[in-house]
Amino acid sequence: MAAGAIAAGKRVPIREGLLAGSLLELDQVRIAGSKCTSCGETSLGTMSVCANCGRDTVRAVALSDRGVLWSYTVVRHKPPGDYRGPDPFVPFGLGLVELPDGLRVMSPIECNIDELKIGLALQFRPYVRMDADGREVVAFTFVPAAKGAGHV
Amino acid sequence: MSDVVILGTGMHPFGRFEKSYEEIGAVAAAAALRDAGVEWKQIQAAYLSRMYLPATSGARILRRLGATDISIIDIEAACASGGAALRQAVLAVRSGEVDLVMVLGCEKMPRGFMDPSMIYSQWQIELGMSMNPAYWSMRAQRHMHDYGTTELQIAKVAYKNHKMSVHNPYSMYRKEFSLDEIMNSPFVCDPIRRLEICAPDDGAAAVIVASEKRARELGASAKAINIASCSHTIARYSADFRCPADSMSATANNPGPTEVTAQQAYERAGLGPQDIDLYEVQDTDAFCEIEIYEGLGLCALGEGGRLIDEGKTDLGGASPVNMSGGLISKGEPVGASHLAQVVEIVTQLRGEAGPRQVAGAKVGLGHVLGAGGNCAVTILTR
Repeated sequence: MAAGAIAAGKRVPIREGLLAGSLLELDQVRIAGSKCTSCGETSLGTMSVCANCGRDTVRAVALSDRGVLWSYTVVRHKPPGDYRGPDPFVPFGLGLVELPDGLRVMSPIECNIDELKIGLALQFRPYVRMDADGREVVAFTFVPAAKGAGHV
Repeated sequence: MSDVVILGTGMHPFGRFEKSYEEIGAVAAAAALRDAGVEWKQIQAAYLSRMYLPATSGARILRRLGATDISIIDIEAACASGGAALRQAVLAVRSGEVDLVMVLGCEKMPRGFMDPSMIYSQWQIELGMSMNPAYWSMRAQRHMHDYGTTELQIAKVAYKNHKMSVHNPYSMYRKEFSLDEIMNSPFVCDPIRRLEICAPDDGAAAVIVASEKRARELGASAKAINIASCSHTIARYSADFRCPADSMSATANNPGPTEVTAQQAYERAGLGPQDIDLYEVQDTDAFCEIEIYEGLGLCALGEGGRLIDEGKTDLGGASPVNMSGGLISKGEPVGASHLAQVVEIVTQLRGEAGPRQVAGAKVGLGHVLGAGGNCAVTILTR
């Protein structure tokens, strides 16, 4: 087994089937999607059947790493359960990011909360989080796209 | 009279109590039997609507009324559990196998945000996507963007419902708040504020359901309330961005669960929004009520804000909504919420709602909507 595969075994996606591309190369990681050749819908994550029509005519796609904010909120209280954000808690943006692939994906939005507005151009940003058990978990956020870079 | 009727109702107040769920549920069950004038031993089947209680809670609650060998089952469909349970009771009576049944809704919930592991995946919890109000808020934000709905209009819904709660002895909060107090309450998730949101709590509601024939035999036809229709559906593909959704289609254009369920309920009842005298709807947050006006057909898409501005959904308006004070005031003991709406509508149709009475009410509609796009609509007539 190649050294890369062993290392990759220790680095895991925040959810199996949610990310595409080698986790070792963060700049190549994308959100995984499934495009149905029957009904044309693209849905989030690697699926064996289409989330819309239920047929097995789906193929794995890597979703665009650029999008625009379709709607958002500011989470003002620490979410319940096993939230892994900053401690102590800091209010953060959460939004639906519309991708040119034809779907909107929910994601934390990392920016000054005063910057949040519908239509904001965003860039996908995967990152590595160290868990207590030593695993490297690849999670993700979206950040405002660099000026002049948003084009969706 | 329709083929299936409600003979009696009972409530345990909504709030927070140092009591077991069995005790809370049994109070509502016994009250419903008393109101219907029937004995527990006459009941042929029972349905418990609940989400956060353990297995076989229905049997555990109802054994307090005496031993029985009837079928007692627990039913769960998130915030629409009560509608799903009532529907099963209607179908059972309509089958002819039974003609006198109980539907009980009961819940006992911890304070604060609901346990996220009930509906969210671990990764959503880790990334902070596990707050139901965040989803409601994103819907509100988009509606404001698309239709010009304002924070003040959202606050007006909360104002109306808090104001009405003062008259409802079963409500958890019974306090009127000024628009200023509501607008100055802190954001939970922008643009939804603390005084515009409902809290989980404890409570129970029960109804006794019978065939029209059995009601006549019992000499109870005069006070019976007709179940004109009771529908439950789950949102179509990507038709409802609601917890615990992690994504939605940007191209699909399916009607939302409120539209679909209401349409089915209207058709089965042979009625439409022009026939409804009062509504009890899912105001888990104040914005949601505005969106539901549109879904139920009280106004066109995007005009919900105008409806609250014009006072049409207030007492004395053309379409009074949530005269019970709504979930914003009562709290939402999930399994009990829809059945409490049914109890409120029965009370209104009997003309027994006191200061919150809608004059001459003959037709009422109850609506619940929740996780997974579970939606139920019940239409009652007298």
